[in-house]
Order: sequence, then structure tokens, then C-alpha cells
Amino acid sequence: MRTALLFASATVVFASAMVAAKPLTKSQALGIMHERHEGMEDVGKQNKILRRELAASSPNLGAVRAATATIARHSAEAGHWFPAGTGPELGKTGARPEIWQMPQDFAVKLRNFQVAARALDAAARSGDVGAIKVRYAAIGDTCKACHDSYRTDMHH
Amino acid sequence: MPKQRVWDLPVRLSHWLLAGLIAFSWWSVRNDHTDWHIWSGIAILTLLLFRLMWGFVGSSTARFANFVRGPGHVVRYLRGDWRGIGHTPLGALSIVALFLVTAIQVGLGLFNEDDDGLFAGPLANLVSPDTTDTIREIHELNFKILLGLIALHVAAILYYRLVRGKKLTKPMITGRAATDSTAAPMRPGKWWVALICLALAFAISRWVVAGAPPFGA
Repeated sequence: MRTALLFASATVVFASAMVAAKPLTKSQALGIMHERHEGMEDVGKQNKILRRELAASSPNLGAVRAATATIARHSAEAGHWFPAGTGPELGKTGARPEIWQMPQDFAVKLRNFQVAARALDAAARSGDVGAIKVRYAAIGDTCKACHDSYRTDMHH
Repeated sequence: MPKQRVWDLPVRLSHWLLAGLIAFSWWSVRNDHTDWHIWSGIAILTLLLFRLMWGFVGSSTARFANFVRGPGHVVRYLRGDWRGIGHTPLGALSIVALFLVTAIQVGLGLFNEDDDGLFAGPLANLVSPDTTDTIREIHELNFKILLGLIALHVAAILYYRLVRGKKLTKPMITGRAATDSTAAPMRPGKWWVALICLALAFAISRWVVAGAPPFGA
């Protein structure tokens, strides 16, 4: 229930951000782009930590849980990372304009990531390494699915 | 001048496969086919390992000992005082540089991973995420050096063709060239030695793909 509520609220926040009538000021938009960049970078870093832990013969579950909780938190934040006006027209970003041209598809892909992040975090808290590995593979697919369509290479 | 054999099949195949795989690696990573890029790098690793071994036990023109020369030989070659077949003392410098920079590129790639951590070389788990961030930057920088060496290599071939009237590309395809008849002819390698080198190159690559030491960290 809690999960469903969280999920619903994240979707609403995201959907309202996508159709926000009130345009963002430039500094607000740049602020969101910065938060998005830092957040995504941290998701990447946590992903690298997870891959190393899960490749080890006995993963450190404390480190795994810290990483999955951080990814789950960022995935919820990601619901307000893509308001209209935060694309490449404003500044340097890896976000493609297609995000705002195909908002429904993007919303579905973002939601898939959020669901996978929570499932991975739940598996990590359960401590079942086999289940964590399955969820870890699944979340990677949601990252790739979205990045293939909506992200360009951006070297910082 | 009569034509004779200068490059054996393993040397020619290594050369053209390397050229093709470097081009493919470049194309694939620029077009979001990072998984293909990684496999292409592993194929290059196999090729370099083979060529390295063939450089010790292969045909006479393939062997490093027969073409890697000191500065004295390079100066004498530049004065026009060199008789031989295969790599010239000056060309050998280019070959060694290309080989080393390609080897460094592949070596870095094995430990590399992308920004997202979604694609990783087979040995990336052996080093920290911060280290792979540095490796990624050097991997990109080193590729620019490699491109520079390739440009120099192609420019030298064009120079020999257009200014010196010497065709270098065709012998790398057919294996035969018009050579000074006083030069010692190419001594071919043995086919079964080539097969052993190839098997060893595949075995070492397979070990790397598995995650090296005792298969992983």
C-alpha cells in the first residue's frame, strides 16, 4: 500500500511537472538540471558499487543496502527532474529533446525505473543475494531502455 | 625487378583485421553499441597477443628482432644506405608506436566502464569506480594519439606512393613486392606454429574475459 501510494504520488508529481502551466525561471531550470546531473551521476556510482559487490563471492550486504536505498531515493526524485524547459535548449545536458516530444513514453520508462529501484531495494533489505541479482539485472534494463532513447553522450 | 614474398599470411591478416577492428571499435562506441565495442576490444587483444608471439616465432619479416633497429640504422636508412625487405628501420618505429599505443588502448579498455556503470570491461571490477573514471579519460585521450599515429601511417604510405613511387598497400594485400634482389629473401614461418600462437592468444583472451586472476576479484 505504502509502495502503491509512493508510486502514485511520484507519477502525479512527474505528470504535473511535465504539463506545468507556469514556466520555470532560468535559474530554477538550471538548478533542476544541476540536481538531475548530480543525481544521475550518483545513481551511476551506486550502480558501479553494486556490480562490484554482487560479483564478489560474498557481497557486503550493508554496502549493497546503502547503494540500493540511494538509487531508490534518486528514482523518486527523478519524478521532478524533467520539467519542460530543462532540455538542451537551455544548457549542457545529456537529456534529449525527445523527452518532451514523447512525454507518455518517457513517463512509462521513468516509472519502470522507479518500480525496479524499489524492487531492488526491497530485495536488498530481504538479504536474498539471488533475488538481489535478479532485481539488479532488471533495473539495468530499465536504465538502458531509457538511455537508448532519451540520453546523449555527455562528457563532463 | 622480380617480385618476391615479403609478408606472410598471418602478418597480412593481422594487419587488415586490426585496421577493421579499430574502425569498428570507433564506430560502435560512437553509435551506442558499447557491448559490440567491448567485444571488438577483446578481439583486438587476441590479435595483438597473436602478433606479439608471431613477432618472435613467425616469418623473418614478422620478427621484431629483424626490424626493430636503433637510431644508427634509422640515420643510415634516411641516407639511402639500407638494403632489405620488410619494415624499414624508420617504418619500424611507426609499427612499434602503433603496436604499443593500441596495446595501451586495449589494456585501458579492459578496466574501463561507462559513466552509468552499465557497460564494463572484463577487468573493471578489479579497480574502484574512481579509478575507472580516470581510466575512461585516459582511454579517450589515448585514442586521439592512436588516431594521430594512424594518420601518420597513412600519410607515409601516400608519400611513398606519390613522391617516391613505391607501392606499399598492394604488397600488404598480395604479400609480394618488387624488391632488391641482393636482399635476403623472406623466410616463412611454420603453419602449425601460427596455430599454436593463435590457440594461446585465444586462451589468454578467454582468461581475461572471465575476469582474470582466479576469475574475478
